[in-house]
Amino acid sequence: MKWLKKYFNTFFLVELFQGLKLTGRYFLSPKITIQFPEEETPRSPRFRGLHALRRYPNGEERCIACKLCEAVCPALAITIEAGPRASDGSRRTTKYEIDLFKCIYCGFCEESCPVDSIVETRFLHYHFENRGEEIMTKQKLLAIGDRYEKQIAEDRAEDAMFR
Amino acid sequence: MIEIEIDGKKLEVAPGSMIIEAADAAGINIPRFCYHKKLSVAANCRMCLVDVDKVGKALPACATPVTAGMKVQTQSQKAMEAQRAVMEFLLINHPLDCPICDQGGQCELQDISMGYGPDVSRYNFGKRSIKDKDIGPLIETEMTRCIQCTRCVRFGTEIAGLREMGAYNRGENLEIGTFIEKSLVSEMSANIIDLCPVGALTSKPFRFTARAWELIQHASIPSHDCIGSNIYVHTRNHHGIMRVVPRENESINETWISDRDRFSYTAFKSNDRLTVPMVKRGGHWQEVDWQQALDFAVTKLQDLLHQQGAKQLAGLISPSSTVEEFYLFQKLLRSLGCDNIDHRLHQTDFSHQQNMMQFPGLGMTLEELQQQEIIVLIGSNIQREQPIAGHRVRKASLQGCKIFQINVVDYQFNFTVTDKYIVKPSELVHALAQIAKALSLVSDQKIPDNTLDFLSNITINENVRAIAEQLLIGERKTLILGAIAQNHPQAGLLSQISELIARLCGAKIAYLTEGANAAGAWLAGAIPHRHAASNNMAMEGLNTADAIAAKLKGYILFNVEPECDCANPNLALQAIEQAEVVISFSTFKSPSLMLYADILLPIAPFAEMSGTFINTEGKWQSFNATTLPKGDTRPGWKVIRVLGNLMNLPQFDYVSAEQIRDELKVMIDAQSFTSSVPSYNQLTQSSYSHQTNNHLERITEWPIYRIDALVRRSIPLQQSAASILPGIYLNNAFAQQLNLTDGSKTTVKQGDGEANLAVIIDDKIPDNCVFIPAGFSETAKLGASFGIIEIGSAHG
Amino acid sequence: MSSNNKTILSEKVCAEIDRWLTKYPPHGKQSALLPALLIAQENNDNWLPQHIIEAVADYLAIPRIAAFEVASFYSMYHLKPVGKNVISVCTNISCMLSGSEKIEHYLNKKLGVKFGETTEDCKYTIKEVECLAACANAPVCQINKDYHENLTPEKLDEILKKLDN
Repeated sequence: MKWLKKYFNTFFLVELFQGLKLTGRYFLSPKITIQFPEEETPRSPRFRGLHALRRYPNGEERCIACKLCEAVCPALAITIEAGPRASDGSRRTTKYEIDLFKCIYCGFCEESCPVDSIVETRFLHYHFENRGEEIMTKQKLLAIGDRYEKQIAEDRAEDAMFR
Repeated sequence: MIEIEIDGKKLEVAPGSMIIEAADAAGINIPRFCYHKKLSVAANCRMCLVDVDKVGKALPACATPVTAGMKVQTQSQKAMEAQRAVMEFLLINHPLDCPICDQGGQCELQDISMGYGPDVSRYNFGKRSIKDKDIGPLIETEMTRCIQCTRCVRFGTEIAGLREMGAYNRGENLEIGTFIEKSLVSEMSANIIDLCPVGALTSKPFRFTARAWELIQHASIPSHDCIGSNIYVHTRNHHGIMRVVPRENESINETWISDRDRFSYTAFKSNDRLTVPMVKRGGHWQEVDWQQALDFAVTKLQDLLHQQGAKQLAGLISPSSTVEEFYLFQKLLRSLGCDNIDHRLHQTDFSHQQNMMQFPGLGMTLEELQQQEIIVLIGSNIQREQPIAGHRVRKASLQGCKIFQINVVDYQFNFTVTDKYIVKPSELVHALAQIAKALSLVSDQKIPDNTLDFLSNITINENVRAIAEQLLIGERKTLILGAIAQNHPQAGLLSQISELIARLCGAKIAYLTEGANAAGAWLAGAIPHRHAASNNMAMEGLNTADAIAAKLKGYILFNVEPECDCANPNLALQAIEQAEVVISFSTFKSPSLMLYADILLPIAPFAEMSGTFINTEGKWQSFNATTLPKGDTRPGWKVIRVLGNLMNLPQFDYVSAEQIRDELKVMIDAQSFTSSVPSYNQLTQSSYSHQTNNHLERITEWPIYRIDALVRRSIPLQQSAASILPGIYLNNAFAQQLNLTDGSKTTVKQGDGEANLAVIIDDKIPDNCVFIPAGFSETAKLGASFGIIEIGSAHG
Repeated sequence: MSSNNKTILSEKVCAEIDRWLTKYPPHGKQSALLPALLIAQENNDNWLPQHIIEAVADYLAIPRIAAFEVASFYSMYHLKPVGKNVISVCTNISCMLSGSEKIEHYLNKKLGVKFGETTEDCKYTIKEVECLAACANAPVCQINKDYHENLTPEKLDEILKKLDN
């Protein structure tokens, strides 16, 4: 019987069709390959990408210069100078810098922030052309925050129930 | 001693002490807010509740005296539950603003709430909030954070002796604050910053600039008074000094420091800092490197020595310099053949310098000062001049010490003055002579005949007799000669008569000197009549007053601003302006310095260099640099050392401050100081004859925040309520007599100098006198600190 | 400061304070603070402005803040001008359980003012105070110097009517 089964399989190209079945399944299934720079995979709201400093809806910057992010940063990438703000004497940063070469994107800064000011956004496409550009100053970070606030707020809202 | 047991540990404690004291001594931690070892027990925070065996309720450890056989549990369930409950109540109204609170990271409440506090508050009603108070430029308030431990209130009452803060309203509305919103005027007020266990009272100059965990702590000694308070300087990476806090030293400053020591660091970042060496070439200032500056200085000095000789050179050094600086400064000048060295910038009469002890000082420890039964303050404003010594006198007073004041200003102290005798400056010698005479009539001490002759012409005022009689009672007496007595034009006589009084009533004599290190200056030889660690010399150099009066050709100034630091600023400026060579070692630059100096060498202030201060007790305290000197600034001793090398002077190869200190220390230990015969033996009939006059006299003191270049540039101190304004201070009656009103501007004239100042009414000033504080540019045109002055009529 | 005392505190007030001072040892002048403040208050339209507290403190030679602490602690001192009749309502636990809130609401409605306020005609001031030590007959209020116990709105009404006349 054995030889008969073998003869049958050979004659009717069963193995070929078995192989083609897999091919066909993949041929017909939805494609998961993407054209990376043009296309992107979906990203988690918890994605830890480029940093941003947020503002309150009324335009007031959130950061209160508590320096917890600076203290918790394992890579010592954050540098903060603080002082009373000239206009109202409130506690504010006079300098807030993140060195992106040092940063290991661990997200501790975001976790430690009592006012949800420093956040890691879902954005990861950035590059530097000149030495020194890797230092994200307060202005740059606030500008990123302002630009992507809508997305940042949506991401935080989505993740809120798990925090 | 009785035996108690805390947490199973058997302890021997003194009867009458509280459980918390025993626990602290044994290193057992009991949480607390209101208890402080230097303050009275209030027992109002209830945080220190502990479980005492055989007692139903938990008891406060701070207010429960120990009894024999007592068994205390600090960690039992009962104790912990009580403490947790207290913590929950304390947190009811405390805001959760640790991230913006300056106390965050160094907060007792934060620490203890980590241990005892609940995760979630059960209190969901409205929280209390309290308006902040403005209590001056030194202390920031955030009264909502207050937990009403009343440490600050008790500090005011018990330590500062000024009842300024209080707890008003009641129950939930209880608030801590001042009655009328005003600045605290105490010279030790900022200690409440350290006392406050929460962030209700924080340092204003330090506000928001650093976190406790970023700071590195260095031990140091401040350079403003002769007490040598121990401090910690907190620095933050490359930002330098962020703040100063007290370092506990029970024998000197206990747990306190004066505001002056605490906030003088704010001047370190002053825009006036001199950070690069500068030389004046052809009338123009140039910033140069050290090599050029020192070469220039050497050339200038050698030219001067070559042409005019060493006698035409004088060195004036700030009394707040370190021992190392004094020693090298005098070594440099003496190696060049010049003995005109002095640090006594405020003094005018040096006639008693030969008779002076090895160095003017307290002659006892501060702890002994606190044990005195009688203290006579002669020309001393001790509370402002040496706040910590003033605090010791206050403690003595509270223990029953009688304090007498013989002075030219009726200073108000935070201790009770039993009796006082306020006279105008020219009468001060007579006042002391009267006391001596009154004592000589009743005392059984023998005094030389010539001294008796001296006293024969004195007639005694009844008031003085009353004081003298009280001086005879009791033991442990001290006469303290303060700045006014030392700067007085008859300082020598005052000193001699004081010694006579001391002899007659069995008292000790103490000098509380201005500047941080006058003792060091005497020992290191920064005086014209003694070498380092030596006795009087046969040939003495010119003292400050003579060196200025002689209008020499060259002056070396070491942290001296003649317009503010000299007894006769007008004359000093004239002398220095006419000199050919003026080399100034200075921490700061000022317009007037730029006018008369030829070379400016930037030197570091106290916390930026290592050195040694010798305090008034004679205690040597060395300290290291806490931060790098600003810019190209260098420690003073290093600059003098290199200058010595460049001038090819022998033995100038020191590599560290310790080496210099040790060299001097060995010299002092090897030298036996021969104390001179009592100077009152020299008093004769001719030394003094009493003449009354009706001249208008000037009284001067260097106010607490004008004493040196550093505090003069500390903005918070200048703005504080304890600092006084330049002006003409006179009493109300006398002002009316002169038709002057408070605030009116008028001109005062002294010799060829005059100043236009505001009139300030102050009833502490005796009749026929005007008090004009020194140390201000406004008064720089005036002459001698004491003496005749003319006053114009009001204008403007 | 001391020269002003005489002008701020009338001779009559000073004399009365002096009478109280004789009851205490000379070093315990502070003990006379309570009566002294009361006397000063009675002679100043029943309230204590800042300068009078200061004057009393100076007269007794005690720190001003100490006098202010006392004056602000006790509810019998009025730090703001008050009406002719001061109604102090206890709201502590016994009175609260027995219906002091009803009394409060009734007064609010009747007089149109809240605790700490004075009616426009300056006749009444109502004040919330701590325990008046008459818990047995709660709720209690004190009107001027008299206690009124077991209060009900009706009873209060009668009392107010009497005061109106």
